[in-house]
Amino acid sequence: MSQEKIVEITDISLAYRRTRHRVSSLKQTAIDTIKRRMAYEEFYALRGVSFDIARGETVSVIGRNGAGKSTMLKVIARVLPPSTGRVIVRGHVAPMIELGAGFNPELTGAENIVLYGTLLGRTPREMRARIEPIADWAGLIEHLDIPVRAYSSGMTARLAFATATDTTPDLLLIDEILSVGDEDFREKSAARTIELMNSGCAVLLVSHDLATVEKMSTRAIYLEHGVPKRSGVPSEVIEAYLSDVHH
Amino acid sequence: MQVYDSSARQIPVISQVKSIYENRGLLRLLVVRDLTVRYKRSVIGVWWSLLNPLFTTAVMFYVFNTVFKSKLPDGAPFLPYLLSGVLLITLFNQGLTMGADAIASGAGVLTKVYVRPEIFALSASISSAINFVIGLAPLTIVLAFYHKTPTWRFPLVLVIILCMTLFTTGLSLLLAIAYVNFDDSRSLINIFLMALQYMTPIFYPISVLGPHTREVIVLNPLTSFLDIFRHEFGNSAVSTLGNWETMLGCSSLAFVVGFYVFSKRWPKVVAKL
Repeated sequence: MSQEKIVEITDISLAYRRTRHRVSSLKQTAIDTIKRRMAYEEFYALRGVSFDIARGETVSVIGRNGAGKSTMLKVIARVLPPSTGRVIVRGHVAPMIELGAGFNPELTGAENIVLYGTLLGRTPREMRARIEPIADWAGLIEHLDIPVRAYSSGMTARLAFATATDTTPDLLLIDEILSVGDEDFREKSAARTIELMNSGCAVLLVSHDLATVEKMSTRAIYLEHGVPKRSGVPSEVIEAYLSDVHH
Repeated sequence: MQVYDSSARQIPVISQVKSIYENRGLLRLLVVRDLTVRYKRSVIGVWWSLLNPLFTTAVMFYVFNTVFKSKLPDGAPFLPYLLSGVLLITLFNQGLTMGADAIASGAGVLTKVYVRPEIFALSASISSAINFVIGLAPLTIVLAFYHKTPTWRFPLVLVIILCMTLFTTGLSLLLAIAYVNFDDSRSLINIFLMALQYMTPIFYPISVLGPHTREVIVLNPLTSFLDIFRHEFGNSAVSTLGNWETMLGCSSLAFVVGFYVFSKRWPKVVAKL
């Protein structure tokens, strides 16, 4: 089953209309509309992108800031529908998102584990059974019943990381490999991420850390202005990217 | 195994409602979260949710009853009339703004994970509805003080709550889009909500208004919600069939339009977040 395609992306593009002056107030919009100054431009965040990820493969997306890497993640995570083309994703998707984005400071550690895990696509029942193992792994068993407000930022990050990675996904979405907390936990969390990546799922990795990309991925895609400029063997794609950057 | 196919046809509103139903576990958690944060963590607990409407009512009662010496035309007691008005407008304001806020400030999660934002709007409306139900207790006490008891029709209040939930959920989705698109929409909506509050007969009977003003006030759907609520719970106003038509019509319309517009606009909004 190693050839089972988890992600199939066929010639997708993502276009949206944006105002030329980046208006973000009603007042400005009203003035511009009256003066007939509303100039829109079609903006392509992605254009003509196609690739597959099979189970066991790690595909990396590299490129400059604003090249469409994050948009790519959003499209695969189902947050953004593509304007044209087709995306198919099979199975459970686990995004490693900004740590603690779904946390509520007023809730206890245990309550947050359940809420956060459910936001990440699991069921409350599953999560309730996982409270103790997650807290144990994060070294926070004694702090489960106090509000996260009273946690240090390191503790919050550890709990969020432990919750997000307590999963066996079919597809793992990584926006930069996270390492959080103190030295010990940093090693532990990096090891956990690599363990997940090697667990036989499909991985999409977006990163600026080219050494990691070269080491971890089976294939790389170099995006420029939303268009795939080069894809294939990671070392060659990185080389092409670097030679563009240096010119 | 769940399969996401971006080219699968999605019927707006129906697919959204279906997705909310499939994620009812999350919906329940979000409602429990709102209530926990409000009650369990506060020293005065449940009283906290009553403090705001009760205090508002006390201030208004003093101003209008003692300072302006307002009287209802039929000699009905002013306090239950006022309290039911304040409770209902609180239900509306809370459901509307909490829902929109939850979506507008949820970017950290909503841009990374597939969660239907509509669930956040609905959960805010449901939490406000639960607060409203708690508020019925002091209203019952006030009614009893004036030797009134809730009428046998009081279960109809559930219909009002259901309609209000649909109404505020739909509107808060539209508001969320405005919040994300325009930075200044928050202050504008506050002015609008204040105007709407004065256009709802909370502390005055509609009969004191001139014929032209009355026509405008009657157009406000909240007037219908309020007339029905006062009529069915405590009999402190009269409601008509027209009120029911307005309430049912406006709430279903707001729900369908809100969901439909949201399904079309949200992808464009997310792209900018």
